[in-house]
Amino acid sequence: MKLPLLFVDELRGFYKSKVMLFLWIGLPVIAILFRFVQSSTTGQDIPFTVISTLVVSSLAGTLASVMLAVSIINEKNKNVYELFLIRPLKRRDLMLAKFLSVYLCVVVASMISVFVGVTTDYLTTGILSATILDSTVRSLATSLSMLAVACSAGVLIGVASPSVMVGAILVIYGGNQISVIPLVPTLLNLPEATLFTVGLAAAVTAVLVGTAIGLFERKQF
Amino acid sequence: MTSSNPDNKNGFVVLNNVSKSYGNFRALDNISFEIKEGEIFGYIGPNGAGKTTTMKILTGLLSDFQGEVRIGNYQVPKQKSEVHKLLGYLPQNVAFQDWRTVNHALKTFGKLSGLSDAEVESRIPEILGLVGLSDVRHKKISQLSGGMIQKVGLAQALLHDPKLLVLDEPLGGLDPLSRNQFKDIVLKLGKKGTTILFSSHILSDVQDVADRIGIINHGQIKQIGTLNELKSRLSGQKVVEVLLAYASDKWQEFKTIKNVQNVEQPSVGRILLNLEDGADADQVVNDIVHSVVKLKVRVRGITLLSPRLDEIYLNYVREGENA
Repeated sequence: MKLPLLFVDELRGFYKSKVMLFLWIGLPVIAILFRFVQSSTTGQDIPFTVISTLVVSSLAGTLASVMLAVSIINEKNKNVYELFLIRPLKRRDLMLAKFLSVYLCVVVASMISVFVGVTTDYLTTGILSATILDSTVRSLATSLSMLAVACSAGVLIGVASPSVMVGAILVIYGGNQISVIPLVPTLLNLPEATLFTVGLAAAVTAVLVGTAIGLFERKQF
Repeated sequence: MTSSNPDNKNGFVVLNNVSKSYGNFRALDNISFEIKEGEIFGYIGPNGAGKTTTMKILTGLLSDFQGEVRIGNYQVPKQKSEVHKLLGYLPQNVAFQDWRTVNHALKTFGKLSGLSDAEVESRIPEILGLVGLSDVRHKKISQLSGGMIQKVGLAQALLHDPKLLVLDEPLGGLDPLSRNQFKDIVLKLGKKGTTILFSSHILSDVQDVADRIGIINHGQIKQIGTLNELKSRLSGQKVVEVLLAYASDKWQEFKTIKNVQNVEQPSVGRILLNLEDGADADQVVNDIVHSVVKLKVRVRGITLLSPRLDEIYLNYVREGENA
């Protein structure tokens, strides 16, 4: 089983990439900026965690999926995978490792961003109610669900696309649309919408990653 | 052409009627050959001849082909994971992820090949010393020159001490010193019993290290054999060159030597004797020596001319072009 080795290996490559640095540091900073812009322009106080979730879902999802797709396409076109595929490992582990490492990175980035949100809310309002924490957890669950779908779409587009340009266009115009699928239960006002969101995201992610692995297994290098 | 050498029946690497097409383009057309265990097999042919496709099929990177491929006791691609335990491969354009250092890349590939942490730690300095990269162990691969990256590629292929080494144009981008170093490594591994298949455009390098040579063109194996076998197959008509020490008409007497078809003097003092088909060249050279003594002609040299590898190669490649 080479998945743990590949996962740690990919993690090492991704966590210090420029895109991830932006997610680690830039996202919380942007979220704070949003907070003050929003406060000064509308005079209304929207819980900061909502802003954080919004920023994380849209920016992090797009960045993570573009990063995954571009990285896979580049590595495919530069024949990087040949050195892996002539070794006794399963092809699916390579793609799973990529997906899991990037997803873990964006999960941590999301946590940081939401933690900054909760802390900022507490420091500015002095209130940290159970309702706010509950809404934070729900927002985070929704955000992570959308990120999982965005990352899996990035893997699939990376495996299927012949060029970086095609891949980037597909991710931006297709991947982003797919990543809002988990919001459907919320939009339909279903009871326990968050639970449905997580379940739907898990199913869509499994289908997308499974399809990507299927394509990668059949790929001739 | 199929190798029919009975010695090859138990080849370590066996390709039997292997064909591969990309759309309408037939990259390999029913090729069959075998490589014996411990043999160094040079694979030569022009661009697009099918060398890389053959290697990718052997390594399991291409699996949609027709025919039978076996390495050791394992079928390719069916028992790919077993085959991969025996295999070291250096692709034509070796590439690594930009963020990797030499050390990190070798660690990863060593572990993926089944080496333990301790084995990886002891093998890396050994292999880097062998390929002359000890100084750059902790450098990022993206900061290295093309030749050095090629050496890192060779290092990852050798790291786990594979039984079969497949090297696709390994000498491309290497300076003359590194080429010699590489040839020494290949010869050393060959002596140790590693089976090696390598392709190259640099024919002299193939000639220097290969036990046997395969020539491929248009997806078909044109010839397989040792250099001497290829030479003897090509030279339909054997030619002996006699260099006279001074101009003399006595060379006309060489026509009377048995099995000499005709004699010509392309330049003053340089005499070429074309032998009849099936003539015993050694016997004819012996007769020439006797004739020279008898005629009291002073000579600077008597040579049985044989084609060089590049002449053999061009002959089979051009034969393909004219077909």
